[in-house]
Amino acid sequence: MIELKNIFKIYETNSIEKVTALKDINLSFNEGELIVLKGASGSGKSTILSLIASLSKPTTGEVIVDKKKISKLPDNFASIYRRDNIGFIFQKYNLITTLTVQENILLPLIPLNLNISLAQKKLERVMKMFQIEHKKDSLVKNLSGGEQQRVAIARANVNNPKIIIADEPTANLDKKLSLSFIEIIKKLKSENKTIIIATHDPLFFNLDIVDREITISDGTAIL
Amino acid sequence: MKNSFNLYLLEFAINALLRQKSKNFFIVIVFTFLTFLLTSVFYITNSIKYELDTTVDTLPQLIVQNMKAGRHYDIDIDTVDEILTIEGVEDAIPRVWGYYYFKKADVYFTLIGVEEFENQYTKTLSNVVKKIDFENSSYMLMGKGVKKVMHENYYKDYFNFIKPNGTLKKIFLGKSFDTQTELESNDIIVMTNSDIREIFDIEENLATDIVVKVSNPNEIDTIARKIQLLYPTARVVTNKDIKISYQNIFNYKSGIFLTLFIISLFTFFIIIYDKANGLSSEEKKEIGILKALGWQIDDILKEKFYEASIISLFSYTVGVTLALFFVYILQAPLLRDIFIGYSALKPSFVLPFIIDIQTLFLIFFLTIPIYISATIIPSWRVATLEADEVIR
Amino acid sequence: MILTPEVLTIIIVNIIFIIFTLIAFIISIKISFQWNRDATTQLQYTLEKQSFLTATIIKYIFIIKIPLFLFFIFTLDKISFILPGAMCGAGVVDATAYGSPLFILKILNLYIFSYWLFLHNEDIKYENQPYTKLKFTLFNIASLLFITELIVEIMMFNAIDTTKIVDCCGTIYSSSATFYISDFFHIGNPILLAIFYSNFLFMISFYLLKKASLFAISNILFIITSIITLIVFFGTYIYEQPFHHCPFCFLQSDYYYIGYFLYTMLFIGTIFGIATGFIPSSNEIKERRYKISLTFNSFYLLSVSLYPILFYILNRVWL
Repeated sequence: MIELKNIFKIYETNSIEKVTALKDINLSFNEGELIVLKGASGSGKSTILSLIASLSKPTTGEVIVDKKKISKLPDNFASIYRRDNIGFIFQKYNLITTLTVQENILLPLIPLNLNISLAQKKLERVMKMFQIEHKKDSLVKNLSGGEQQRVAIARANVNNPKIIIADEPTANLDKKLSLSFIEIIKKLKSENKTIIIATHDPLFFNLDIVDREITISDGTAIL
Repeated sequence: MKNSFNLYLLEFAINALLRQKSKNFFIVIVFTFLTFLLTSVFYITNSIKYELDTTVDTLPQLIVQNMKAGRHYDIDIDTVDEILTIEGVEDAIPRVWGYYYFKKADVYFTLIGVEEFENQYTKTLSNVVKKIDFENSSYMLMGKGVKKVMHENYYKDYFNFIKPNGTLKKIFLGKSFDTQTELESNDIIVMTNSDIREIFDIEENLATDIVVKVSNPNEIDTIARKIQLLYPTARVVTNKDIKISYQNIFNYKSGIFLTLFIISLFTFFIIIYDKANGLSSEEKKEIGILKALGWQIDDILKEKFYEASIISLFSYTVGVTLALFFVYILQAPLLRDIFIGYSALKPSFVLPFIIDIQTLFLIFFLTIPIYISATIIPSWRVATLEADEVIR
Repeated sequence: MILTPEVLTIIIVNIIFIIFTLIAFIISIKISFQWNRDATTQLQYTLEKQSFLTATIIKYIFIIKIPLFLFFIFTLDKISFILPGAMCGAGVVDATAYGSPLFILKILNLYIFSYWLFLHNEDIKYENQPYTKLKFTLFNIASLLFITELIVEIMMFNAIDTTKIVDCCGTIYSSSATFYISDFFHIGNPILLAIFYSNFLFMISFYLLKKASLFAISNILFIITSIITLIVFFGTYIYEQPFHHCPFCFLQSDYYYIGYFLYTMLFIGTIFGIATGFIPSSNEIKERRYKISLTFNSFYLLSVSLYPILFYILNRVWL
C-alpha cells in the first residue's frame, strides 16, 4: 500500500553544504501492518515519516500510497491527501494548551468549514473511542499526562485516516503512559490501520503486534 | 465553497491573537494611535472648513477693489453708480474698513464702518447697526474677542486709536455683539464711517472697496467678468474664489501634515514587518503542526489574513472613535492650535460636529492597506515553512 | 500639482502596489522561464513556494483595487469642484492628456486581474497545474500594464493645473467635439440601438448554442456597445436632457449614484461572460458562469432601457 522507491533526500542547508538524509531507500508496507522504524536520532527515520505524510518531497525517487504518486503533489493536494489519509502523533503531543479538548481535536477540520452537525459527529466518534468525552470542555493544560495523550491520538483520528504515523511517541513518557499508548495502538491495529512508528524505545522491540522492524542507520535501511 | 467566510477559522484566528498577547497588543496600540492622530486631523480640518464655509457664505458675493502698482488702493465712490447700471446687479455698496494694529497686545482689529441709512451688506451688520446710537458719534461696538483684549489692557470706557498723523482719536466702548459664527466676529469693531475715515485717513470720495449684490447667484461669475471688463485694473473677487482659496490653504496645511504622516506610516510599516517576521519558535511549531494536520498553505495564509483584518479593523474602529471623542468632546487640545493660526487673536470657538463618509474611507485607505501589505510577506514566509523541520 | 489628501492617499497606495507588483513580477519572470512541474530540485520547490506569494499579492491588490477604483472616481468628482470649468469627473479626466488613457487602462486592468484570478482558481484544481506557465506569462503582461497605470496616474495628478480652464462634459461628449466620440454621434441613434440590442440577442443565442468563445466575444463587444449607447442615447434619458451625454455625471448624488449600479452590473456580467469563453473549465462551472453573465447583463440592459421607456410613458414624447 505504501511504497518508497529509490528515495534520496538531500538537504541543502546552504549552497555549499549538503546533508544527505536518506540514501536509496526502497521500502514497501502493506495495509494493516504495524511497522517500527528503529534507529538513533538523526538516522533519517523522521524524514521517512515526513515523506510518507507528504510533508516533504524527495530529491529523487517516488512515494506511492494506494497506487497514487504523492511525492510530487502540489501543496493543496498534498494537504488534502494528508488530511484524509494520515493521522500524525507527535513526540510531545503538540497540543495547544490554551484551547479546550474539543477545540484541539477539531483543528484538522477547521479549514473544511463543515456544517456543525457533521463536525460534531466526527468529534464525538473519536472522543468516545479514546474515552475523553467527559473532559471535552476542559483546557488541555489542566489535563493529566494520560488524558493529553488520548487527546493527541483522538485528534490524529478525527478524520478516520488509514495511516497512522507516530514520531518518537513515547520519548517523553513514563512507563505507565508508554504502556497505555501501546494499548491504544493495539486498538488502532484492530481497525486495520497501517501504523508506522519511529522510535528507539525498547518497549516496542519484539512486540507481538509489530509486523516488521526496520532499522534505519545513516540514511539507509537495513531490513 | 472554499472561498466563503469560515467562522471556525475566525474563531481560531481570535484565539491565536490572544495567545500572542504582548506582541499583538503593541501592534494594536501603534495602529490605533496612528489612526487616532490621522482621524483627529481630518475631523479638525473638516470642522474648520465647515466653519469657514459658513463664514464665507455670509461674505459678500462680489468685492471690487482698486489696484495700483499691484497693491490694493482705495476706490472711487463713483464706481458704485456705474456698477449699478449692470444688469443683474441688485445693489452696490461702498465699504470703508481696515485693519488696525494694536501694538501693546500684538493683535489686529478689523474696523468696519457703517452708515445709518444705507443698506448693509450682511444681515449681521444690519442687526448690529440697530444697536448703534448714531447721535453719539465716536462710539464703537465690538466682537467678543475685542472686548476681552480691551478688558485685559484696562480700557474700560474708551480706546485711543492712533491716527496716521500721530494724533489720537478717542472712541467710546459700546456693547459687544454675537454673530452667526464666531470666526467672523471675534476681532471686529464696528463704528461710523466718518470715524473710520478719520482713523485711517480715507477721503470722502473714496472707499476701501465696493460690495456687489447679485440677484441671481448663478450669475455671479458673469457679472464679475463684466465688472472686470469695465475696470481692467481692478480686482474682482467672488465668494467662490475665496472658498477655493481657503480650501487650497487647508489642503496645503493638511498636505504638510500628511507628509509627516507618511514618514510615520513608513516607520509603522517597518515595525509591523519586523514584528510579523519575528516568529517565536513556539509560533513556528504551531504552524508546522497545523500543516501536519492537513492545513494547506492557502489555509494558513487565510488565517493570517483574518488575524490581520481583525487587528486592523479593531484598531481602525477604536482609533476613529477615540478621535471623535478627542475632537468633539475634548475639543482637541494642542492639535487644533496647529490649524487655527489665522489671526493673533485666537478665536475660541467650538468645533462643529461633522462626520463625513468620504473622510472615513480616506482614513481606511491610508491605514488598512498599509498594515495588510506589511503582513503579506511575513505571513507567506510563515505559511511556506517546511513543516518537517519544525516538528522535530 | 493637485495635492488634496485624497490624491495623496491614492498615490501612497499606488506606490505600495508598485513595490509589490515588482516583487511579483520578478517571481513571475523566474517562473515563466524556469518552471518545471516534474523537477525535484530545490529550485522548483522554491518556485512553487514563490508562486503562492504571487497569487497572494495579486489577490491583495485586487481586493483593494476595487474599492480604490470607486474611491478614485469619488476623488475625480471632488477635484472637479476645484478645477475651473469642470462640473464632474469628465472635466478632470479631460484636463490632462493622461486622463483618458488612464481611465481605459484602469478598466482594462480590472478585467485582466479578474481574469487572472479565474484562471488561477481553475489551475489549482488540477494536480499537474496545467495553466501555471500561461498564468505567469499573462501576469507578466498584466504587471507591466499595471505599473504603467500607476505611473500614469501619478503623472496625471501631477499635471493637473488648477489655473487652467477645462472643458465641461457638455462639450466633451457632444456631436461637435473633436474627441472621437463625436463620430459615434453621427452614426445615429436607431442604428446604434439596433447594434446594441442585437448584440445582446447574439449573446443569448450563443448561450443556447453553447458556443463559449463566441459568447465571450459577444461580451467584449457588449462592453463597447453598452458604453457607446449609454453616452449617446440612454444617458440623455437618465438626465432627461437631450444634450447631456456625460458618462460621469450620473455617478453623482443628484442622480442617486445610479452610475455605480449600472457600471457594476455591466462589469460583473461581462467579466463572467469573458471567463466562460477564455477559461477552460468544467461544464458545470461554465453553465454557472453563463447564467451569472446573462443575469447581470440583462439587469444592465433592462435598467438602461427603463429610462427612455418610463420617460415616454410619463411624457408621451421622446427627447
